[in-house]
Amino acid sequence: MNASRLEAIRELDRDYGMFYSLSEDAALESAEFHFSAKDNLTTVDHETTAGSRMLSGWRPPFDAAAVESLRGAGGALLGKTSMDEFGFGTFSVNSAFAVPRNPHDRERSCGGSSGGAACAAALIDGHISLGVSTGGSVSCPAAFCGVVGFTPTYGRVSRHGLLDYGSSLDKVGMLSADCASIAERFPLMAGPDRRDPTSCGHPEHSERSAARTVGVPKQSLQGIPEDVLAVFNEALEVVRGDMGLDVVEVDIPVFNYAQPAYYIIATSEASTNLARYGGMRYGARGEDLDTHFDRYFRQVRSAGFGGEAKRRILLGTFTRMVGYRDRYYLKALQVRQALIAEYRRAFASCDLLLAPTMPFVAPRFDEVEAMSPLEIYLADHLTIPPNLAGMPHISLPCGELDGMPLGMQFTADHWHEDRLLKAGVEWDRRSEYPVPEARA
Amino acid sequence: MDSETVRRVALLARLELSEEEIESYSKDLSEILDHFSLLDELEGLEDYGFNPVEVADVLRDDEPGQDIPAEDLMKDMDTYQDYVRGPRLS
Repeated sequence: MNASRLEAIRELDRDYGMFYSLSEDAALESAEFHFSAKDNLTTVDHETTAGSRMLSGWRPPFDAAAVESLRGAGGALLGKTSMDEFGFGTFSVNSAFAVPRNPHDRERSCGGSSGGAACAAALIDGHISLGVSTGGSVSCPAAFCGVVGFTPTYGRVSRHGLLDYGSSLDKVGMLSADCASIAERFPLMAGPDRRDPTSCGHPEHSERSAARTVGVPKQSLQGIPEDVLAVFNEALEVVRGDMGLDVVEVDIPVFNYAQPAYYIIATSEASTNLARYGGMRYGARGEDLDTHFDRYFRQVRSAGFGGEAKRRILLGTFTRMVGYRDRYYLKALQVRQALIAEYRRAFASCDLLLAPTMPFVAPRFDEVEAMSPLEIYLADHLTIPPNLAGMPHISLPCGELDGMPLGMQFTADHWHEDRLLKAGVEWDRRSEYPVPEARA
Repeated sequence: MDSETVRRVALLARLELSEEEIESYSKDLSEILDHFSLLDELEGLEDYGFNPVEVADVLRDDEPGQDIPAEDLMKDMDTYQDYVRGPRLS
């Protein structure tokens, strides 16, 4: 990457807010490829803030495993991408720093929480963005920005160096302008890493025969606006006709219960994970060490966390409290297990599942502003089920509505990423993806 | 979630909230918890797990080692003569 191209990217970034920090050109010139990392992945040469004032200025002493893998294969880190604080959001507006703007309309959100990653994938030619998904943070922004967003099985990629949100839900994924680029680079970072035990002891990434049958969960189409459904149905005809796949309807009754179960597990885990931010080991510090430790921690945390982070800490603390734990946390764990069992039953009759990714196109920022926290949580109801169940999934651009991209999402059984990527590459060949006017 | 409960939870979570924040979170969290009651419809579920996939035990040999030099970690801390400074315990 030469200096003029980097300057063009800097220029774009001033308009779109996709990066918190960009690398210097000297480090980029000899690289085989360039990638960016969401800012909740640690990097030795860039601050890692996860979009939070709590970590402003923090320079980690090690690279995240996924970053390390791509650097080891000749990749150079272009920069750190903007995001919702600790991944807490659907529209990338909950950030202490830059808010990314949609590459197809700057008055609209990129989606979240990997909004900057999706924006960079859309605006920078040949770019690979590392994103992180807990409940849909790769698929949602991919759909809103008109790019491909791939989330592997939980445990397929090491979480070493990923700043935890929900430890049983977080997955490192990839976003790019096409699926072929992801299929080429994904094996670089897949596989066991002893520094993350949840990545060990799993089947290896391998090649199976391509999918032949696609199931559409009937619950995933309930309540979807007709204009969104019309675009999805057109895409489904291409899947059936051009791709030659059999399409069947499947029934996953627990699908509709996944959203509350997810928010209970995610916030329960987040509230314990964020207990580590107390103003002593890294990040924000308090001013007065002469104060009692309880007050000191309260002061640091209250000043360092944003509004949505506090909301999720409160919610997750409550759902784990004595008297409420069985009703909320334990019940949510049971719902997750039931959902996995229902996915398994569905995969007995089909190889992949397909559904719309999001129920609407990227909203304008004023529309996001008018939404209540519950309305925002409900917007994730299509991306949550595979994330809660740890199933791999991929969002692919499938058409446009009012000039804005829409996405559809394939889901596969645990460890069947190869089938998803094959279907994605086939979809690449048959589709014209939306291209933003501004590019670098 | 009423205001008193928000106060109690905030204390446990070590958060200091203004009266305005308490009122606002009380309203938001009440709506969210009402929605969570949807899960009460599901009965008879027994199985559960803490991860969505089987997770193996991974043990390393019990040998002392240091992945990151102490000075690299201490650069982010308030220190005095190699001790980490913290707030008062009483």
